[in-house]
Amino acid sequence: MTAISLSGVTKRFGRIHALAPIDLTVDDGEVVTVLGPSGSGKTTLLRLVGGLEAPTSGTVTVLGGDAGRARAAKQIGFVPQAPALLPWRTVAQNARLLLDVNRRVPVRGGPSPDELLADVGLSDFAGAYPHELSGGMRQRVALVRAFALGAPLLLMDEPFAALDEITRADMRHLLARLCELSATSVLFVTHSIAESVFLSDRVAVLSLRPGQIVGAVDVALPRPRQPELEDDPAFFAVETRLRALLHEGAGR
Amino acid sequence: MTRPRIVLASLTGLAVFGLLWEGLVRLFDVKPFILLAPSEIVAELGNAPARYTEAALVTARHAALGVIIALVVAVLLGAALAASRFAEQAAQPVLMIILVAPWVAYFSSIAIWLGAGDPPVVFLAAFVTTPAFVFAAVAGMRSADPAARELLASVDASRWEVLWRLRLPSALPAILAAARYTVGLALAAAYYGEGGNLSTAGLGAIGDRAAAAQFGPALWATVISTVVLGVVFLAVITIAERVLLHWHASQRDTALPRSVR
Repeated sequence: MTAISLSGVTKRFGRIHALAPIDLTVDDGEVVTVLGPSGSGKTTLLRLVGGLEAPTSGTVTVLGGDAGRARAAKQIGFVPQAPALLPWRTVAQNARLLLDVNRRVPVRGGPSPDELLADVGLSDFAGAYPHELSGGMRQRVALVRAFALGAPLLLMDEPFAALDEITRADMRHLLARLCELSATSVLFVTHSIAESVFLSDRVAVLSLRPGQIVGAVDVALPRPRQPELEDDPAFFAVETRLRALLHEGAGR
Repeated sequence: MTRPRIVLASLTGLAVFGLLWEGLVRLFDVKPFILLAPSEIVAELGNAPARYTEAALVTARHAALGVIIALVVAVLLGAALAASRFAEQAAQPVLMIILVAPWVAYFSSIAIWLGAGDPPVVFLAAFVTTPAFVFAAVAGMRSADPAARELLASVDASRWEVLWRLRLPSALPAILAAARYTVGLALAAAYYGEGGNLSTAGLGAIGDRAAAAQFGPALWATVISTVVLGVVFLAVITIAERVLLHWHASQRDTALPRSVR
C-alpha cells in the first residue's frame, strides 16, 4: 500500500501560484524528504497531505483515502516547525497531548510516551515545564509527542530549522533512530541537504515558486544510519547530486 | 529586593500615609464628615465591629457574585467572539457603551426593574465588569499559539477542546490582569447599589444613611471597610495568579542580572 499519493496536485492562494502540478508517492514504511529552498511551498505541500488545506486541483490520497479522513482518524502525527508545547503542561503531559485530544478516536496503543521520553534522554525532565528546557529538548518533546500517537504516518515540517548546527546533527541522528524503531511512513520537509540524506530513503527536490519537483534521488545508504555515515564519500555523492538539483530548481 | 524588605517598605509607606492623614486632620481641625482621622475611624469600627463585619460580608458577596457572573459571561461570549471577527466587530460598540455609560445614573432604573434586595446590586456589579473581562478574554484567546492550534487541528480536535485546552489557558493571564481592575469597579458598584437600593444591608446602605445624616464616623468606617475588602480581593487574585499561572513568565523571578533588567 502507499501511504501518500499525490497526483497533479496544485495550490494557488489568490494570485500566488504556490505549487505547480506535483506527483509524489510515499510507500508504506518509507521515509521521504521534500528538499527545497524557503518559499518553495514545502509547508503548503505538508498541509495538503495533513488535510489542513485543500488542493486547488489534483488528488491527495492519504492511507488509502481522503486526507481529511486520515486527520479525523488521528492517523497523522504532525511535528510543526516550532515545537508548539503548551507552557502550562509538563513535559510528560505535553508528550501525551495528542493522545488526550479527540477521544472520539480509540487509542491505538502506540509506544508509551514515558518510554519514548526515556529513549530521547528526557526522563529526568518529565515533570519540568517547557520554559525550563533548551530549544533542542523542546523539539525532542515535540518528536516524542508525534511518535506517541502511534500514527501510521508522520509529517514533519522543518522541525530542526531553529536549532544550532550541533544540536541539529544530534536531532537528525535521534530522529533516524526513532524512525527505524517504528514502522511508520514519514514525509519530512527541510532545506538542509545533510538532514535529507541522513534520514531518507528518497529525496524529492522542489523548485522555487511555483513549487515543482525537479528530480528525486534514491538514497541507497545502509540502515540503520549511523552518525559516521556523514563522513562517507557515498554520503557526499548523494549530497552533491541534491545540491545540483537544488541549483537547477532555483534557476541558477 | 528581599521579602522582609518589601514588607518593611510597604508598612513604612502606609505608616507615613496614616500619620500625615492624622496630622493634617488634627492640625487644620477638619470637620469629621469631610475627612475623619484614622484613629477615629478605628474607634468607630471598634464600637460596632459586628455591624461593620456583617455589612462587609454582604458587600463582599454582592461584588464577588457580580465578578463571577461577569467572568462566566465573558468566557462564553469571548469564545464566541474570538471565533468570529464579524461577531467581535458587532459586539465591540455595545461593550464600549456599557463600559463608559454612567451606571450611577441608570441604577435607579435597574432598582425599579429588579426590585429591592440583592438582584439589582449583583446585576449592576456583573454588568459593569463584563466588558473589561470580555475584551481580555477575546484578546487572550486570540493570542493562542497558532502552531499549537495547527497541531490540535492535525488530530481534528473539536472547537470545545480547542477552547478548553488551548484558548482558555492562553487567555488566563489577560483575564486575571483584568480582574485586578474589575474587583475595584465591582466593589464600587456594589457599594453604590446598596446605597441606592431599598434594601438595608451592606456597607453602601450604612454609608447612604450616614451621608444623609452627615454622620462622618459611620461614613468613613464604610470607606475603610470597602478598602479592606478591595485589598482582600486583590490578595485572592494574586494567589490565583500564583497557582494558575505558575507556568507564565509573569510569575517568574527574572534571572537576568541587574545591569540588563
